[in-house]
Amino acid sequence: MSKTDTTTETTDGTARETEAADEARAGDSESEAKIHATDLRVGYPGLDDPVVDTETLVVPEGEVTALVGPNGSGKSTLLKTLARHLDADGGDVLIDGREIAEFGSKEFARELGMLSQHGSTPDGITVEELVGHGRYPHKGFLEGQTEADREAIDRAIALAGIEHLREKDVSSLSGGQRQLVRIAMALAQETDTLLLDEPTTYLDLRHQLQVMEVIRTLNEERDVTVCIVLHDLTQAARFADYLVALCDGDIYDWGRPEDVVTEELLAEVFGVEASVEYGAEPRITPKRAIDD
Amino acid sequence: MDVSSRSVEAYTRLDSRDRRLASLVVGSVVVAFVAAFVQVSQGSYPTPLGATFDVLTDPRILFDVDVWAAILTGSDFPDRLSQTAIIVWSLRMPRVFIAALVGVNLSISGAVFQAVTRNELASPYILGVSGGAGLAVLVTLVFFTGASYVLPFAAALGGLVAFALVYAIAWQGGTNPVRLVLAGVVVATVFQSLQTGLFYFLDSTAVVKTAIAWTTGSLTGVGWAQFRLAIVPTLVVVPLLLLASRHLNVLLLGEETARSLGMPVEYVRFGLSTLAILAAATAVAVAGLVGFVGLVVPHAVRTAVGSDYRRLVVGSLFLGPALVLVADVVARLALMPIQVPVGVVTGVIGGPYFLYLMRRHGDFSEF
Repeated sequence: MSKTDTTTETTDGTARETEAADEARAGDSESEAKIHATDLRVGYPGLDDPVVDTETLVVPEGEVTALVGPNGSGKSTLLKTLARHLDADGGDVLIDGREIAEFGSKEFARELGMLSQHGSTPDGITVEELVGHGRYPHKGFLEGQTEADREAIDRAIALAGIEHLREKDVSSLSGGQRQLVRIAMALAQETDTLLLDEPTTYLDLRHQLQVMEVIRTLNEERDVTVCIVLHDLTQAARFADYLVALCDGDIYDWGRPEDVVTEELLAEVFGVEASVEYGAEPRITPKRAIDD
Repeated sequence: MDVSSRSVEAYTRLDSRDRRLASLVVGSVVVAFVAAFVQVSQGSYPTPLGATFDVLTDPRILFDVDVWAAILTGSDFPDRLSQTAIIVWSLRMPRVFIAALVGVNLSISGAVFQAVTRNELASPYILGVSGGAGLAVLVTLVFFTGASYVLPFAAALGGLVAFALVYAIAWQGGTNPVRLVLAGVVVATVFQSLQTGLFYFLDSTAVVKTAIAWTTGSLTGVGWAQFRLAIVPTLVVVPLLLLASRHLNVLLLGEETARSLGMPVEYVRFGLSTLAILAAATAVAVAGLVGFVGLVVPHAVRTAVGSDYRRLVVGSLFLGPALVLVADVVARLALMPIQVPVGVVTGVIGGPYFLYLMRRHGDFSEF
């Protein structure tokens, strides 16, 4: 993956996108794209303009890709489309080169997991039982729990670091703990790809870090491709291998965090005047909102 | 070692919820049997308790082919039975069995609708069944006087049509619980108004009473014919819903999560709703619109055993009949010689139950 030319160009601040960069991306996408979307257009009934309208989106295999953008930029909509929660009005989404619409529902759920932003956790069931629902796509209509299911549940619970909560009633947990349990449920699905919609929003710092750590481990140890919507740009820049910055439903920029997160991006996409520094860690210091 | 420690763990977790379910089931069975015994032994022709018991346990009756034929095919009860036996077996027993079937169907239907609409306060009638069935009954009474034998079918059919209408109204490239409930309100409101309007076209008090019996739910005058009508759909729907309980659990996680787990949500929701509507229509066909059972029973079971539908459905299957049997004893015997519709009694019991819950919990928790 040669992104050097993009790097120099974006840091120069001269051109955001060049033909060379586009070619490089196209080359990447063919070799190692887990998810490849082209000419994607997604709208909601009652809205004239599509919420997402973008030419090419690539989620590279085995990496953590973060979707970032201001409120209303279409990042959640895009993620939901990839997860088949929304039907696109046009365009193709391929996963491992295969059209997502071709998958059966359970087959798709064995391939790709999605942790939605909102999900309810019923009262009166234990953490272990909730995590066990993650095995749903692996079971036939009448099939009970097999040894393989139990092992997958154990692995998911261990990976999410929630062994101590195993027997607890889900309703007795804090918001942060619940989120870890929901992640464990998605882990029990044992998919090659996991999409997460703002998994850290509303969590305290400690649980935010725990969630991110679990996702990192999942990516590094099990080689799971992760695509995650993050609200917090600093967190995204620190955490993700790749960033996709969305603006008004279109991809504004795509690449390594240090290439994407620039003062220009903050000004143009987020409408914020800020300084961006890269030391050991990226540091974004917002200064003021830019008037429209 | 690992396996044994796990099974010990599993045993200790044969947890309080399973124990509570077991006591609920046993308690419901006891209550149901006591209520059934009171129902068959008491009435305007009281049969002594001992004699009733003898008639109920007499092997010569229990294994009599002609008695079974009378129950299952509608032929006459054999003349050789004593008068007590005739009264118990041909007049009072069917009412007990039908009450139990009504309880089973309404509570299981309510349990499913509470999951499908993700609303703890949903009842079997939430998707327009009551409006459709009530209107169909009134239409039959007004325009097809004398055709009272079609009333059960009219009621069930009206309910099913209303449900189809609700689904059609709610459908916009898919449904969701809120749209379904709102469409249910739309249909029920219109149908109920029409139904109320039709009351003014009824010309005799007797027909008005029939209409009221149907719209509030009554078991007065039911016989084995109604039992035969209700048992077949019950035997189809109940096992299917028991098997579906795991899918109900996944549906409870919310639409998006269920979809992420690979559930074809629209199909499952429509399939489950259809089964639940069939259960509700079965109850409506034999008893009219008995209120509150389908709302209270799953709710009460949930407070005891949690919202895991594998337990909830089983608990509802037992508590439902117990409640309807007790309510029907009260409806038939409390104000003798007047019999009130059983739906009046379930309403009178159901209201205060919610008052009790409000006082105890302060609020209704979400799922």
